[in-house]
Amino acid sequence: MPQFIHRILLCALVAPGLWAQQTEVVLSATSSAKLVLAMTSPKTSGLDGAAVAAEFTAVLKRDLDESGVIAMLQERLPADGAPTKAWKEAGAQWLLHTRFTKAAKGDLEMEASALDTAAEKGVFNRTYIDKRSGPLRYFAHYLADDLVGRLTGEKGVASSRIVFVRQVSNGVKELFQVDRDGAGAMQLTRHGSLSLSPAVSADGRLAYVTYKGGPPEIWGQRKKDGPHERLYPTSGAGGMLSSPTWSPDGKRLAFVQGDRRGNSDIMVLDLAASRAKRLTDGNGINTEPSWNPNGNQLAFTSDREGGPQVFLMQDDGSNLRRLTSEGLYNASPAWSPNGAMVAYVSRFEGKFDLFIYKLGEGKAYQITTGVSTSESPAWSPDERHLVFTSNRFGSSQLFTTDLSGRQIVRLSELGGCQSPRWIRGR
Amino acid sequence: MRYGIYLVPAAIVLTLGSLACKPPKTAEEIKAETQAAFNEGVQAFKDGKARTANPFLNDKDNPHKMQGWNDGWDKAAADKAAADKAAAEKAVVVDQAAADAKAAAARKAAEEAARKAAEAERAAVFRAAADKALANIHFDYDKAEIKESDRAILQSIADFMKAYPTARVEIAGNCDERGTNEYNLALGNKRAAAALAYLKTLGVDEARFSTISYGKEKPLCTEANEACWNQNRRDEFRLR
Repeated sequence: MPQFIHRILLCALVAPGLWAQQTEVVLSATSSAKLVLAMTSPKTSGLDGAAVAAEFTAVLKRDLDESGVIAMLQERLPADGAPTKAWKEAGAQWLLHTRFTKAAKGDLEMEASALDTAAEKGVFNRTYIDKRSGPLRYFAHYLADDLVGRLTGEKGVASSRIVFVRQVSNGVKELFQVDRDGAGAMQLTRHGSLSLSPAVSADGRLAYVTYKGGPPEIWGQRKKDGPHERLYPTSGAGGMLSSPTWSPDGKRLAFVQGDRRGNSDIMVLDLAASRAKRLTDGNGINTEPSWNPNGNQLAFTSDREGGPQVFLMQDDGSNLRRLTSEGLYNASPAWSPNGAMVAYVSRFEGKFDLFIYKLGEGKAYQITTGVSTSESPAWSPDERHLVFTSNRFGSSQLFTTDLSGRQIVRLSELGGCQSPRWIRGR
Repeated sequence: MRYGIYLVPAAIVLTLGSLACKPPKTAEEIKAETQAAFNEGVQAFKDGKARTANPFLNDKDNPHKMQGWNDGWDKAAADKAAADKAAAEKAVVVDQAAADAKAAAARKAAEEAARKAAEAERAAVFRAAADKALANIHFDYDKAEIKESDRAILQSIADFMKAYPTARVEIAGNCDERGTNEYNLALGNKRAAAALAYLKTLGVDEARFSTISYGKEKPLCTEANEACWNQNRRDEFRLR
């Protein structure tokens, strides 16, 4: 299966025209083949060149490594002034030049250009200006994302963020976010209570459940960068509430409401009309809704046939069908951003592993294996990775994996983490 | 000197005549004088003079003045005695009212203290009864069925609710760590609902219970073993 996933990735690399020759090289290489990029020393004016070289280059290298599609050439580098041919002979397919300028107003400017060493033609040229004179890390992230975008047609996710829940003290959990590389951890809520089940809309609006008033309520942002306010129920108590999930257009919120008879149902709240509609039929547990990218279907977990299994339905509750067939406990469905896959967890011998169900094939593939548990998968916006939680180092921490399950990376050393969601940063 | 012999008797006659001719006092004059003497007597009493200080004692010609003065003095003395007596009586009345009020307050305070003590005792008894009755019940993995062994606990809770008709209780469903966060929130809701349904069959009004689910978010025990998981798969009952 990992082989298969790599084939998919490699196919994504096949870009027409300009890189026809290069594509052949990639395809003829082993499954670990990536575009090889070399970088000349950054030119600087008004900044400490050595510091820039150290910080910027290290972050860019890591970003590109994690992209899975570009590798940075590290050894046998020609001198900076060497002709393009020398770089090509050293193995570089693209040669990157960067120039940093500190402008008079304090703005930092980075000019980046890349050259195809075979065709000796420019393939990339862009200037970045950071008005906040922000850290060099972000320039590296933006550049990595654009280089990946230039190569694959879809922007990378180095500048993306992970929003998650973290326990801050006994009985108190708050929302946090961290950059995709594990830096820049930041607390997003301070309710001093249980805050759970974060969701982030495409335009960056949060929704989550908080127990700050006693019974759970759904809180979130009606407007981008707006204040956190109660979204549901509009008055009174709403029973058990969990799992708010924004529709892809950000206008509706799927969530779960439990009644006093022990049932929990998938609901959809139309935010403009402030009207909630029940999609499932009050038959046992229905939870963990996940929209497809068109916003016309939902995957969810239900125990209607015994133990928890993953089901699919239309956004009006019709056309209900069971997705998972093997295993006694399948849950946490996450529909992939392009719609072809559903990630989920399956319980086996007391721990969970990540699986991916390919809708086109009607088959499930196991991603993680091991003695520790892997839970709460969420897709990267480019669909190349999953973020999940695992207790493999003791406390529940955030990890990412590629779709083969071979490249598992601990994203952050923060403990007590749960329910990660992966969103674009810009 | 021929006529001098007549001068003496003439003078006598004139004198006597003038005396005899002095007109007697009218009733009005006597009344006015009596009133004036009365007023003087009143004033003399007020000034602290003795009754024997009556200036008209030796005025034999005006016994009415003496009498008036004495009457004035006596009246003033009587008035003062009456006023003093009234004031004394009034003071007694005021004292009595204050004493009565104080006694009533003390009685009320004692009653209040007794009431509070009784209330505190009732509350203590209520809390003790609640502590005794509101024990946790437990569940099997991924199950929300009431266990045979927990029925006695639920019966005690029902008995408690019947013994204290104003008691209101929150049922909180909880799960062990093995399961997804969201599924466990739904499972905790199912577990709280299971206890609610059972208590309803025991004859307790379900409106007196609220339910809440904490899923696996509030474990009692954080070790990864069955003993710990069993503790965490529970319904808690708390007074509201």
